[in-house]
Amino acid sequence: MASTSSLRSPSTWVFAATLGLLIVSLWWNLVGAPTEATMGTIQRIFYYHVPSAAAAWTALLLNAGASLWYLVRRSPVADALALAGAEVGLAFLTIVLITGPIWARPVWGVWWVWDARLTLTLAMWVMYASYLILRQLTPPGSLQPRLAAALAVFFAADIPIDYMSIRWWRTQHPSPVLFGGPDSGLAPRMLTALLISMAAFLAVMGCLVWLRYRQEMARGRLAALRQRQLLLEES
Amino acid sequence: MGEWRIAAAVCARDLRIELRTREALLAMGFYALLVMVIFSFAFSSDASLTLRAGGGLLWVAFLFASLVALDRAFLREAGESSLVGLQIAPASRAAILAGKFAASYAIILGLEAILMPLFAVLFNTPRHADWGGIIFTALLGTWALAANGTYFSAMCAHTRQRALLLPLLLLPVSIPAILAMVQATQVYLTGEGMANYWLQLLIGYDVIFTVLAWALADMVLDIE
Repeated sequence: MASTSSLRSPSTWVFAATLGLLIVSLWWNLVGAPTEATMGTIQRIFYYHVPSAAAAWTALLLNAGASLWYLVRRSPVADALALAGAEVGLAFLTIVLITGPIWARPVWGVWWVWDARLTLTLAMWVMYASYLILRQLTPPGSLQPRLAAALAVFFAADIPIDYMSIRWWRTQHPSPVLFGGPDSGLAPRMLTALLISMAAFLAVMGCLVWLRYRQEMARGRLAALRQRQLLLEES
Repeated sequence: MGEWRIAAAVCARDLRIELRTREALLAMGFYALLVMVIFSFAFSSDASLTLRAGGGLLWVAFLFASLVALDRAFLREAGESSLVGLQIAPASRAAILAGKFAASYAIILGLEAILMPLFAVLFNTPRHADWGGIIFTALLGTWALAANGTYFSAMCAHTRQRALLLPLLLLPVSIPAILAMVQATQVYLTGEGMANYWLQLLIGYDVIFTVLAWALADMVLDIE
């Protein structure tokens, strides 16, 4: 059994380092990075929006990989990782979907456009929300991870086709004029801020997945122990 | 018995139940008709509405009606431990799922055959509309809905709140298929644009998800 909440535990140091990274990135995002020339201060939301998207995609990729692993091996480790990935991924997707419109309103003049990337993000949010709802509505036991894995594999196969089809749809109509994106020449200090922020968000994502995974494994062990106790009492 | 014969037996049984009770067809038919009528109120229908959004109108009506049929596909098995009976049949889960799929596919197509002429009358489709193309799109699009829908319906059969969960699972995964069938139907209705890309997308989608559902049938159709 791993020791819990002891200062010697390596996870404590990882959490502390993540917190430190978050504080450093906060300084870089608000002070260190220069104010963008045309958009002004609102552009700083970029340092939250893009890293959240990266964290969400990484967590959901983990969900897809773990689900596939579960289908092949039926391992409870894979199931706990898949659940953790979906939950944390959904949380970061929510941040993306909230910061996006806040940024878009002053810059594009609208809260939302049905552009390929936006539509896909919203669709993914609905998908993984329904994945968690399915898990909630399925009776516990071996059935729940199996159905969840079967669903997650469908989602993973669907997302690339989704993106392709929505792009076709949108390229038929003239797409709204979006701003050129960070690729069109990001100032060096902006890039530094972005990279630090990216590292911080990925580290937060990793910590949350790890905590959620540990929690889920502990829950499984507890359920097994309870069952054994019931059996012993009966006999 | 061979796999195909089991699938055919399951399909024949489902169709026989449907023909005797006409549960799904009646419920779905009225439901889809209502959706069309509500649309005509909601969007103050005239000929220009059909030109702008006819494909969308037709498919939203079909989509909601299909959800009713797909929910019923496994609702039927809930009583009298019928699902257990199916699962102890000496056949692979894929064969049983294929049989259920074929029955749902036939029932939904039957409904569409009734609704399409109604749609043409109620929404004054243009004279030059290419009905061959629309029917071909419907065959492909309904395949996508029925294949995914049967798979998810089997999945939801194990859960509480089945009727709520089915659209939640089916609709987001079906986005590419819905987009393709609406766009292709729109092209055939108005005669403007190209439908080829959309049909290719639909065929690719059908193939990928049919194979995936077939491969994962064991996962969703099983009891503890």
